[in-house]
Amino acid sequence: MKTKARKDSIRKRKNIEEKYSWDRLSDSDHERKSHKARALIATVIVISLFLLYMVKLYRVQVSDHEYYSVKSDSNRIRIRPIQATRGIIYDRKGSILADNISTFNLIVKKELIKDKKDFLKKLGLLVNLDKNIIESIEKQYKNRRLKDITIIEDITLDDYSKIAVDQYILPIIELSPKSKRRYNFPESISHLMGYVGKVSNNDLDSSVVKIHEGMTEIGKLGVERFYQNILSGQPGFEKLETDAKGEVIRILETKEPIRGRDVVLTIDLELQNFIYEKVKKKEGAVIVMNPNNGDVLAFVSFPGYDLNLFTKSISNQQYTDLLNDIRRPLINRATTGQYPPGSTLKPFIGMIALEQGIIDANKHVNCDGAYELGNHKRPFRCWKKDGHGDANLSYALTQSCDVFFYRVAELTGIDSISEHLYKYGFGERTYIDLYGEKSGLIPDRKWKLKTKALPWYPGETLNVGIGQGYFLATPMQLTLATASLATNGETYTPHLLLGDKNNKTNEISVYKHKNNKFSTLFKHPDYLEIVKHAMWRVVNEKRVGTASSMKKIRNIEFAGKTGTAQVYNLDKGKTGTKRLQDHALFISYAPFELPEIVVTVVVENGGGGSATAAPIARDIIEYYMDKKSTSVSMYE
Amino acid sequence: MSDFIDTKKPFSGLSALLYIDAKLVIPIMIITLIGLVTIFSSSSGDLNLVLKQLTRIMIGIITMILIAQVNPDNLKLFAPILYLFTVFLLALVLLFGVGNTADRWLDLYIIRFQPSELMKILVPLMLATFYADKPLPPKVTYILIAILIVLIPVFMIMRQPDLGTALLIGMSGAIAILLAGMSFRFFLAGVFSAASLIPILWLSMHQYQKQRVLTFFNPESDPMGSGYQLMQSKIALGSGGFFGKGFFNGSQSKLGFVPERSTDFIFTAFGEEFGYLGVIILMSMYLFIALRGLSISIKATDNFGRILTGALSLTIFVYVLVNVGMVIGFLPVVGAPLPFMSYGGTSMVTLFATIGMIMSVKSHQRILRK
Repeated sequence: MKTKARKDSIRKRKNIEEKYSWDRLSDSDHERKSHKARALIATVIVISLFLLYMVKLYRVQVSDHEYYSVKSDSNRIRIRPIQATRGIIYDRKGSILADNISTFNLIVKKELIKDKKDFLKKLGLLVNLDKNIIESIEKQYKNRRLKDITIIEDITLDDYSKIAVDQYILPIIELSPKSKRRYNFPESISHLMGYVGKVSNNDLDSSVVKIHEGMTEIGKLGVERFYQNILSGQPGFEKLETDAKGEVIRILETKEPIRGRDVVLTIDLELQNFIYEKVKKKEGAVIVMNPNNGDVLAFVSFPGYDLNLFTKSISNQQYTDLLNDIRRPLINRATTGQYPPGSTLKPFIGMIALEQGIIDANKHVNCDGAYELGNHKRPFRCWKKDGHGDANLSYALTQSCDVFFYRVAELTGIDSISEHLYKYGFGERTYIDLYGEKSGLIPDRKWKLKTKALPWYPGETLNVGIGQGYFLATPMQLTLATASLATNGETYTPHLLLGDKNNKTNEISVYKHKNNKFSTLFKHPDYLEIVKHAMWRVVNEKRVGTASSMKKIRNIEFAGKTGTAQVYNLDKGKTGTKRLQDHALFISYAPFELPEIVVTVVVENGGGGSATAAPIARDIIEYYMDKKSTSVSMYE
Repeated sequence: MSDFIDTKKPFSGLSALLYIDAKLVIPIMIITLIGLVTIFSSSSGDLNLVLKQLTRIMIGIITMILIAQVNPDNLKLFAPILYLFTVFLLALVLLFGVGNTADRWLDLYIIRFQPSELMKILVPLMLATFYADKPLPPKVTYILIAILIVLIPVFMIMRQPDLGTALLIGMSGAIAILLAGMSFRFFLAGVFSAASLIPILWLSMHQYQKQRVLTFFNPESDPMGSGYQLMQSKIALGSGGFFGKGFFNGSQSKLGFVPERSTDFIFTAFGEEFGYLGVIILMSMYLFIALRGLSISIKATDNFGRILTGALSLTIFVYVLVNVGMVIGFLPVVGAPLPFMSYGGTSMVTLFATIGMIMSVKSHQRILRK
């Protein structure tokens, strides 16, 4: 083989030599040298380029290794949170107020959609496609980070079974299970309960809620918000390795979620619902509280709204409707509604005057229907044009005589009144376990100078004396103040939490009332007796008490005070006209001898306190007393 | 010229017998082995793929040895015929090609292959043949003819459209003409006139080609499209670090973040698992092949041998630079395989044929001199 090839090559070499004259190849030495030079230049270029590449590779692989390592891991590793089951919320008797149900999202994997138009057309045959749904599908379709499109959120199995009949039209849609909050009696408990929603930027900034990694839902209002950290538990996670398409290759690590704690509220659902049914057509608030420990048995702000609207994505239209509703259902009137308390403030003004020694039980003021003050042109009128005649404190409270309290207020003076009203909890939040509580307003000279840049006028003191003018209180504050009378000064911070329970370990923690006990010192028990007796007369002294015309409750006597607050309110309607509105108020406690409950009723634009508010309180007390025997709390 | 007789070196007996050059074959064998290992890993252990590639390597080695037997003078004789035939095949591809985005394949019922790949060797071979009997440095007429020899296939391949291969072939042609002794002044003039053609080239480019070039200049502009490939490639290489993630642990490549991880981006897959250390070894092998080729070129006894071996070995190195440059972001993503490593048939066989020709020149000289 070797020799043959050799022969061949020699032969061909000869051929070439014959073909071309040697002259033409005579320059070969020069050619060799010239080529060598060029080849050496090429060698230098090759080595230089090699080095350049090696430097660049060194930068990428060694210098920037950390940077790319992180990128590589974030490419590959996905953290999928596993939501913790939220704690269940019970009422004091064990009825479920809020729990979780399994619902489904109707989803479709994006990669399975071959033709979007065709997909939408077929989908239209299965579900009712309104503009919002189509918009949301288009939006999700464009978002390259999403792998799935959620077509409809929160459909029940029943809904799905209707779709499933015709699913052969579009086999690629599927159900993805999820847990959803459900509220029983969503309107009645709306303001105390609040709701859960998607975690927002505001939540992230909030200092009161703890946001765990991976949490998607959070309590927004009410108890759901206040006890968010107890209820929510802690999400777990799955650390997943995914490929470039986002398919899960394997699970690297799993951490189980920690279930939220169950919570028991002080609320008595039956009582709550009874009240709500009674008042839902009106606007206002009703609070029933046990003054002996601060348990809030009923916390009704009416009208309520459907909490369950908020657990799915509430539509803009629905939300706007709620916002613009003239009855303002979204306002929690019980703790954020600030009202002039009207005559319901009189027992406290009376107490202050007694304690300050301004008046005593026998101090008489003659009421001729009007009270003249210094250089005021117009006299201050009593609600009773003909006047009450000669009245002492007890009679003045029973009859709610304004002139008497004008006089008392003038004598006591705004400084003393405002200072001592704080003692009953006015002008300050009650610290009930809800966020956003308002503190009402106790006006004084400083306040007026600061906000209105005007001095305090003596006439304004008279107005405060009958619970009008600048003075404002929330229904919750009125409840707490009434409780201090009912319990002779022993009060507790109002609260909605009775206790909470770890669902796994059954470990129970009960709210400790003793920690929140406050004593309001009264100088003389006698003074308190005068006021309390007068409040008994309001309800029980026929033809004298302003609330005495109501039907008696069998075996039970209770005490109370009516109030009718006149308010100039700018009607926010289109007319822009001022409209005079009377708020009807009633504060009460029952039974009179050994108080178990304090009942506060505020009805906006309700007319007279005695006609509108007092009967509601009476019925609540009757209902409570009837049901008392069967009332057994989970924690008692 | 005593250095041609190297009987002391290993395999020299066998080498002489088979007309092969151990200094070229050993680094190539190492590279193909690295390639097989990388393909095995990046395909998540698909032995089928490895066996297919191994078969191609075997076919390549046989082709290489066969070509090494051929006397360079015979190569010269066949060059024009092969060149013209392949130009004819390119015309066929343009008319009846099969393929996805670019019609590069010719379906011969038994095998499908890319005539453009053949052109990669045939252009330097044709130029070396053309210059073999011309006095050097060449006259301007000869340079113009040589340029024509290069441009005809280049334009045909561009029309396929396969810009990457066309540019590579153009480059190998330019190298050959330069080695032939064209004056650098003339070369510079050529470069400038070529640069002036860039707008025309741009207009005749397909949308996806334009996109790639634009993405090269601004990779962040399209992080999910063609810039994505480069970004993921750099992440893979960078996360490999100095020692690499280890064999079979290249998450970027394995999980599909690096595209074309067995073909165009095989360097990335290798670099991720074997790190900078592996890259040093691999790149040194390529450097060694290029330097060995140049050394053979310098020692060649005639112009044909000099131009052919020089152009071919430089061309292989250019392929390496283009491929690696692409995966580290030096150059746009053009779709060029990494010599001796990328999964694929025609390229593997033509590359071995290239080495075969270099060895043919080298080994036949020695015999001639003895």
